[in-house]
Amino acid sequence: MNTIEEKLWNYIDGTCSDEERKAINILIAQDEVYRRKYEELLALNQEFSKMEPDEPPMAFTYNVMEAIRAEHAQQPLKAGINKRVIKSISGFFIVSIALLLIYMLSTVHLTPVNISGHIPDNLRLPDIKNYLSKPMLEGFLFFDIVLGLFLFDAWLRRKDVLKQV
Amino acid sequence: MQSKLSDIELIDQTLAGNQAAYADLVKRHQRFVFTLALRFAKNREDAEEIAQDCFIKAYRSLSVFQRQSKFSTWLYSIVYTTAMTFLRKKRVDTDSIDDENTYIQLENSSLAHDINSAENKSRSYYLNQAITQLLPDDAAIITLFYMGEQSLDEIGKTLGIEPNTVKVKLFRARQRLKEKLEHNLKHEVKELI
Repeated sequence: MNTIEEKLWNYIDGTCSDEERKAINILIAQDEVYRRKYEELLALNQEFSKMEPDEPPMAFTYNVMEAIRAEHAQQPLKAGINKRVIKSISGFFIVSIALLLIYMLSTVHLTPVNISGHIPDNLRLPDIKNYLSKPMLEGFLFFDIVLGLFLFDAWLRRKDVLKQV
Repeated sequence: MQSKLSDIELIDQTLAGNQAAYADLVKRHQRFVFTLALRFAKNREDAEEIAQDCFIKAYRSLSVFQRQSKFSTWLYSIVYTTAMTFLRKKRVDTDSIDDENTYIQLENSSLAHDINSAENKSRSYYLNQAITQLLPDDAAIITLFYMGEQSLDEIGKTLGIEPNTVKVKLFRARQRLKEKLEHNLKHEVKELI
């Protein structure tokens, strides 16, 4: 059940319904208690509206920007890698895998006889031994590990930022 | 001289690498953010620390700002969470809205002041004094509604509560503020209002 004050505050804030507003209009006009209370709350509301925010110290903006600059300076270089580089590398691998698949499938001659659950005899995988040497494989593996760690770090950073917000 | 660009335009410029644009955003919102922080911290040093922390957090998360609400609403929600974390660290109990024991000391100090000096003090002084005696939640809601000119919906988003709950809390906060004013000023409150 709303008290007189609660109804009047809703009326002043404009959060009451049309019917309630009309009813309160009549009460203010006819009821002395309502009228006095309304005038008191209205004066109080006007006083609250005049409140001024406090002034922070003069160097506040400077301090904030300095803190941000300091944070930027501490950022490791790997966090500054251009996203285009990452996208280009990803694109290279996707295209390579796609080409390899296309080549593999082009060597397969599917006939109804071949579709029997067995690997067709004429399926030939490209002889990758000719293309990939041991140092090349090691380099490839090392690159994958670095890329994996970078993505894991980026994920952890994003999680940390969201947690702070 | 503050920028006349909108908050969103300044955010876009900041995301494009223009740090001066963010400095303009800070200048634009620093007074209110500091005041809101002061409602929780109760002293200027702590409020400054909270406000500064908020702007740094907002900068870090600017790219994840969804733009579905006003930048100020988003920023005030950061102030609220940062201030609550700060209070928790300081072990100040803000859980119960009815537990006013924490503020007895503040209230007693206000009682000690000379009532007769009312003529020499401005109205805003007494109002600010009464607000500092409120619980942080009450003071924050009053500040957001009157100073921040935030709607009930926006305050709800900032504090993570329903607009109807905000309405009830605002009503109670105003009642408490009125009581504090009456208590502090005794007879002068009639003149004040």
